[in-house]
Amino acid sequence: MNAIVTAKNLTKKYGQFVAVDGISFEIKKGECFGLLGPNGAGKTSTIKMIHCVSPVTAGTLMVNGMAAHIDNRDLKMMMGVIPQEITLDVDLTVYENLIVFAHFFDIPRREAKKRIAELLKFVELEQKRSSKIDQLSTGMKRRLLVARALLNNPKIIVADEPTTGLDPQARHLIWQRLRQLKTQGVTLILTTQYMEEAHQLCDSIVIMHQGKILKEGMPSKLVEDEIGREVVEVRIPPEDDDKIIQHLSSFSFEHERVGDTLYFYCRDGQELMRRLIELNLHNFLNRPASLEDVFLKLTGRSLIE
Amino acid sequence: MNLSYRIYYVFLRNLVSYKRFVVPTFLVSLIEPLFYLITFGIGMGAYIGYFGGKPYLYFLVPGVLVSSVMLSSSFECLYGTFVKMVHEKLYESLVATPVSAEDAIAGDIVWGAFRGLVSGVLMMIVANVMGVFPASIPSVLVLLVLMVFVGILFASLAMTVTSVSPSFDFFNYYTELVLTPMLFFSGVFFPLDKFPGWMKTLSEFMPLTHAVKISRAVFSGAYNSGLAWNFLVIFVLEVIAFYVGIRMMKKRLIK
Repeated sequence: MNAIVTAKNLTKKYGQFVAVDGISFEIKKGECFGLLGPNGAGKTSTIKMIHCVSPVTAGTLMVNGMAAHIDNRDLKMMMGVIPQEITLDVDLTVYENLIVFAHFFDIPRREAKKRIAELLKFVELEQKRSSKIDQLSTGMKRRLLVARALLNNPKIIVADEPTTGLDPQARHLIWQRLRQLKTQGVTLILTTQYMEEAHQLCDSIVIMHQGKILKEGMPSKLVEDEIGREVVEVRIPPEDDDKIIQHLSSFSFEHERVGDTLYFYCRDGQELMRRLIELNLHNFLNRPASLEDVFLKLTGRSLIE
Repeated sequence: MNLSYRIYYVFLRNLVSYKRFVVPTFLVSLIEPLFYLITFGIGMGAYIGYFGGKPYLYFLVPGVLVSSVMLSSSFECLYGTFVKMVHEKLYESLVATPVSAEDAIAGDIVWGAFRGLVSGVLMMIVANVMGVFPASIPSVLVLLVLMVFVGILFASLAMTVTSVSPSFDFFNYYTELVLTPMLFFSGVFFPLDKFPGWMKTLSEFMPLTHAVKISRAVFSGAYNSGLAWNFLVIFVLEVIAFYVGIRMMKKRLIK
């Protein structure tokens, strides 16, 4: 498979502030590519350059064989954008939002009407066709944003935290729709802070922090390489750490102390658990390792403002 | 300047949304100028008597008409645009489509001018009802062209102000320090010839002065060669304001 997006030393500066610090990556045609990272990692800045609304400060960024540039109407023509903020036109109804947007893409009126009917069905909003935007729930608004992004039959969909603030039902519906689009050959570029979302949707991910890419790869492989298969969390006072670690020295594991918890990262948690029970410790938890562990390990467990 | 025919789509978007506001905006566009016409025209006019052989109302109408165009198009590109930009984030979704930032801004300027034109035409109808008419049918055409020019000019100036506004409050500086004085220094309510020289010079720098002169000729039918100069001043200012407004607004939108 060939690359549809290629970034080399891509840099974005706002004045003196460096938001994206010379990153390089490739996105393959037809895959779902995720950018993960805490707030301010540079994810949104990166995808804004990809969908041509923010100028590239330095480096090169090629999308579908063309240089990404704010005046590149051809690229905008083939991309659908699901923004982070709800940027629906509140003065208009659901239907008007879509028909007005279809104009922007030069879609003929008759075709636009047909497409809108299909899309309202796709996002399950047929009943809300004539509603005003402020009569919709957050989940409905997000679904309408998905429909709006699909009006022009995009080859590439850029979704910036598409499920923020949604309840589980609404979130799963959006995930299903995005996966459905992927089977139709659409390339999906996603930013998210939800590790589950990345796991559910992405074929490959990059983890960003302070404008740089820390790690990249397939989600499950990243978890295995960075953390192992399982995590054992033990809540004991920090003074006891050394004692416990000594008792468990026959196992191979990595450990980390954060706050009130001692984390063990290992291949097989069963044996470790058994030993902990022998030690008469009760306040512990054994669970499969997740992308969240990778994320926290790489970007630090303390708060990032 | 990456401008294209898509300006029309942006205009159309505004028209679709306008459907819901037609009645209130018609009322607002009418009430303020009507207020001027009734209080000054009829109330004060009764004391002033005749102006150049005609009732004061005839003097007042041409000026009030162009000022209503000025005010409507200004407010549309101050408050209207600010709401769309900051509160509704409309521009963010526009620039992600093949509509460029320039298209979006120019579309809003043209929309502002259209709002001015609507106000002006409404005013003209009110004036007709009160018995004041343009001199001839061609004069009506000149007046329409003038209203479009004035609309684009003040919509563009307002766009420039909006591009540097941190909040609504900032607009007060512009309306109180620029637009309101313009109303009183441009010969809308009284002739400028009793002003001292420096005030006359000052008023020459106000685009509304030139618009009022043309409008007055449209109603009196007394055309003279000086009007070409008035048109030229408005046109040149308009081109500059349009360009600067788009440039500055784009700077605010694209980061």
